[in-house]
Amino acid sequence: MKLTTKQLTLCAVLTALALALSYVENFLPLSLAVPLPGVKLGLANIVTVFALYALGIGQAFLILIARCTLGALFAGNLNALLFSLLGGLSAMAIMALLSRSKCLSVYGVSIGGAAAHNCGQVAAAVLTLGNTAPLYYLPLLLGVSLFTGALTGFAAGLLFRALEHTSLMKA
Amino acid sequence: MPMKRSPEVRPKPADALVALAVLLLAAALALSAWGGGRSGGLTAVISVNGQVTETVNLSRLSGPEVRELNANGYTLHVRLSPDGAEVIDSTCPNQVCVHTGHISRAGQSIVCLPARISVTLSGGAEDGVDAVLG
Repeated sequence: MKLTTKQLTLCAVLTALALALSYVENFLPLSLAVPLPGVKLGLANIVTVFALYALGIGQAFLILIARCTLGALFAGNLNALLFSLLGGLSAMAIMALLSRSKCLSVYGVSIGGAAAHNCGQVAAAVLTLGNTAPLYYLPLLLGVSLFTGALTGFAAGLLFRALEHTSLMKA
Repeated sequence: MPMKRSPEVRPKPADALVALAVLLLAAALALSAWGGGRSGGLTAVISVNGQVTETVNLSRLSGPEVRELNANGYTLHVRLSPDGAEVIDSTCPNQVCVHTGHISRAGQSIVCLPARISVTLSGGAEDGVDAVLG
């Protein structure tokens, strides 16, 4: 894939933004309100939604891989890489499909992505533990993903509206 | 660098279909994974030296039962009850298994490394039906 300097720079900034959002998320512990393992807002998903629409699936994929790899390196936890990769890739695959539909807004796309992210993470937990015990949490996580998906969809919508007033995405 | 695709930022009716699909998936999974209720199908799997020695369907217990487990020179007393399991005492040196306390959810486990004994709770009964519909 050949990237222009502007595209490469934007990818780098978005990767940094996704990492920063994952970090900030730790200070907003949704798990205190909803005590489930693995429950979180998924703010980094805003970046994936934006990249899918604005830059296309190729660059969105690059950002996702860089984000997961760097995130696992910073956490010093290789096990986390499997969780974030399976979650992130599932979310992106579903959102790439859903965003092709003319009938859906960023809300529907984002909710689908949040649900797929949870499925991917539970799959990683099943692989790691070697038994299906984590499936126990999936129905609850999917319920929560309706709200977190709508919230990240709303945030992505704000971002797209704000961009209309800038020259960033102009030719 | 124009946008590849311009997004729709206002909710559309079809978004509800995505939400509905997620809810249906959650409901289907809940029926198959949770079976007869939150702790209904709880099963305790006891392993010694990596081999499963006993599988106890906790929901079938009428009250607490204490099992004595002997392995590798140590003796553990495990109390199994309909709502979970705990190691009440052990002759092992570090007492990690005793300090783990009571476990009550599928996926949780108590491990005693010196004795090489583990008690793991799993969801879903070993026998019986998975779900009843209608």
